[in-house]
Amino acid sequence: MDGLLAKVARGDENAFAVLYDQLAGPVYGLVRRVVRDPAQSEEVAQEVLLEVWRTAARFDPAKGSAATWAMTIAHRRAVDRVRSATAAAEREKRTSVLLPPADDVADAVEASLERERVRRCLDGLTELQRESITLAYYGGYSYREVAELLGITLGTIKTRIRDGLIRLRDCMGVT
Amino acid sequence: MMRLFGPDLHVLAGVYALDGIDDDAERSRFEHHLRRCQQCADEVREMSATATRLGFAATQAPPPQMRERVLAAAARTRQLPPVIDHARPAAEPRQRRAHGRSRQARPLPRLAWGVVAASVVVIVVLATVLVRVQSDLNKSRAQQIAITRVIEAPDARAVTQRTSLGGTATVVYSHSRHALILTSAHLPPPPGGKVYELWLLGPPRVRAAGLLPATALGHTSPVIVKGFVPGDQLGMTVEPAGGTNRPTTTPILVMPLRV
Repeated sequence: MDGLLAKVARGDENAFAVLYDQLAGPVYGLVRRVVRDPAQSEEVAQEVLLEVWRTAARFDPAKGSAATWAMTIAHRRAVDRVRSATAAAEREKRTSVLLPPADDVADAVEASLERERVRRCLDGLTELQRESITLAYYGGYSYREVAELLGITLGTIKTRIRDGLIRLRDCMGVT
Repeated sequence: MMRLFGPDLHVLAGVYALDGIDDDAERSRFEHHLRRCQQCADEVREMSATATRLGFAATQAPPPQMRERVLAAAARTRQLPPVIDHARPAAEPRQRRAHGRSRQARPLPRLAWGVVAASVVVIVVLATVLVRVQSDLNKSRAQQIAITRVIEAPDARAVTQRTSLGGTATVVYSHSRHALILTSAHLPPPPGGKVYELWLLGPPRVRAAGLLPATALGHTSPVIVKGFVPGDQLGMTVEPAGGTNRPTTTPILVMPLRV
């Protein structure tokens, strides 16, 4: 994907189409998980993919892979969307259905092996680690909000999330 | 209360990587710290990569109309120029790949030469296949090597063909390696409880050649089929879950594998 992104940075529209096919599913799926509303998710996902096109030349491979770069943009945009004032009311309503995160859209095209592996790794975490990470990442909640939802201190949340991510990293073999 | 350095700040690496800091001042303090703490920067990089895996696990098919919209929008959007770091010679950034990825990515141009006979479209598909091979962290190293051996074989050929259910199958095969790799794009999911099964349709007999994995992002990850001989054709049928010993339905694909 890194090589593809280098071509995209030089304005290669065909390379961008190939990159789109690889990224659109993960980007849309992640945004959908955070934002929930299909129409808004589509809007955010489009913005993200266009941002990938627009800023491809700014990608720095020293800071991580192209996939991580794109998914970081996706997550940030999704979080921006749910944290904006207009979304606040909608989110209040969602709080009740957020635990545990639902696997919606039955016809979703699944990255089944990856999903299975990630699930196994998540199962290896403590309950608190798993809940904190899931709420922060898939729920788009700030760590203060996660602490409030789970009724624990800010210090505990910060360490649990960090410890949990370290455990996930090792389980997934991320280097 | 918050100290500028020390454990309080360091422990923020996790929530930072998950975009979990909603206080701008706190985030910029941490980012300032990151610039001087290489260890923290490395930790954030690894945690972001970990988060990416969580993101990929949430993959969902996007609305089909989105593709055209995004590609059209890209065509009329000017791209930002790269940021020039005058402190560094221009050629350096390319060599400064962070991980082993750059080494794995190198076979691409060679691959393109290996299949000069194939159309440009097929080469693009192959590039996608190879990138998928590289990205599929569940594939064993041995399988990756086996796949690379086929793709890089001097007699490697690529064929793309539509199936009768829609979508396409692309096969790269090498007679000298007695192996082929199949991947598919936009193939509809098999009917409930069914699977796609592959067959080597030889003049002497028909041999089961494995099941197609589940679709991801509209593609299936590459399947390697070994032991094919000249004269074999590749077939695909819809079969009950788990597969069968012999085809029980009309093939949705029959692909000749010419020498």
